[in-house]
Amino acid sequence: MKYKDYYAILEVERNASEADIKKAYRRLARKYHPDVSKEKNAEERFKEVGEAYETLKDAEKRSAYDQLGRFRPGEDFRPPPDWGTRFGGGSAGGFDNFVDLGELFANLSQGGFGRSFRPGRPGGGTSGGFAKPGEDYEVNAHISLEEAARGTELALDVSVPERDASGRLRRVQKTLRVRVPRGASDGQRLRVPGKGGPGVSGGPPGDLYLDITLKPHPLYRVSDHDLYLELPVAPWEAVRGAEVEVPTLDGKVRVSVKPGSRAGQKLRLSGKGLPRPHGGGAKAGDLYCVLQIVTPTVLSDREKTLYEELAKISRFDPRGHFG
Amino acid sequence: MTELQILDAETSVALEDIVAASGLAREEVIELVEYGVFQPMGAGHAKRFAAYSIVAARRAARLRADFDLDAAAIALALAYLERIEALERRVRELECLVLRDV
Repeated sequence: MKYKDYYAILEVERNASEADIKKAYRRLARKYHPDVSKEKNAEERFKEVGEAYETLKDAEKRSAYDQLGRFRPGEDFRPPPDWGTRFGGGSAGGFDNFVDLGELFANLSQGGFGRSFRPGRPGGGTSGGFAKPGEDYEVNAHISLEEAARGTELALDVSVPERDASGRLRRVQKTLRVRVPRGASDGQRLRVPGKGGPGVSGGPPGDLYLDITLKPHPLYRVSDHDLYLELPVAPWEAVRGAEVEVPTLDGKVRVSVKPGSRAGQKLRLSGKGLPRPHGGGAKAGDLYCVLQIVTPTVLSDREKTLYEELAKISRFDPRGHFG
Repeated sequence: MTELQILDAETSVALEDIVAASGLAREEVIELVEYGVFQPMGAGHAKRFAAYSIVAARRAARLRADFDLDAAAIALALAYLERIEALERRVRELECLVLRDV
């Protein structure tokens, strides 16, 4: 096992007080937390700092760590001969069952100090009868708008944390089958109790948390349960008004574009958005058609002539307000 | 057969559900309730909260583990995170109204 100098990692002296260690952790956590850090290797450093704090903040674990002796960081080492008896149970205790110092100390937390390992049984770990609940799975599901609208069955290939028989945390590949109910929307979170990782020693299974993300749709943009559709119209349609067909999730619908319509105006189709999951209140969001006036770029000679005539006779001044 | 829960503002859950799902101690959850972190729902003797509270509670547990924050600081951080989420939603809504270049 390679030695890690937890005091050096937390940038404190070996005789630092609990308060100093806490302060040091808070400062370094703020510095390296991936959510707010600007440092490179932030995630790695954050993990390192967290592991050091987990051991040094607990008086008993800190004492056990101190008794390991002092070595160079990265040096292969063994604890003094009686370390296992005092802190781990058995000769070298569970020491030989771990390849990582952090894991060793993390496992010393289960079931209390000195009781994690059954005497005479190396590396008893949590099989000493301390039931532990399974890990929660947090998974992201990317689904299409149509799948969200009608509900769907998903098979998700995920990498999830799981505890093995000796309580060690590993990441494993799994395929999870989940049913997403109709009416889920972008950013919605779902919880499926008991569908997380299996419990250890008879502990209950963890839960599955599903974050729904909608895949971008070629036509619609989504805002909560409302849909937005760009509705392009020709200049004469905007001026004279028009009856146009628009696609909705359940078929085409005719809408009236009023004479004198402007770009950016919204036409609301009530209830034609994403369905809502609950019974009461609005059954579905709305579909908003947002007008966009598009101009033809390829004109026949006759069209060009007509446009030129229009330009000559029209008294319309779009920039009158410029003064 | 365990049922799927939608963690939104419309479904309600009990305090015990928040405790179980977050890994926080009951006293910690109660302290966060006092800081107004969880949205109570409905009148009545048994306090119920919006199911979205489970999301907030799990975030609180992570903030505590990652940053070693106390309840007051957690409540503050959660308030800021909620504000960021609300702003992101608003940005997504406004992006829907921006006409694409055809």
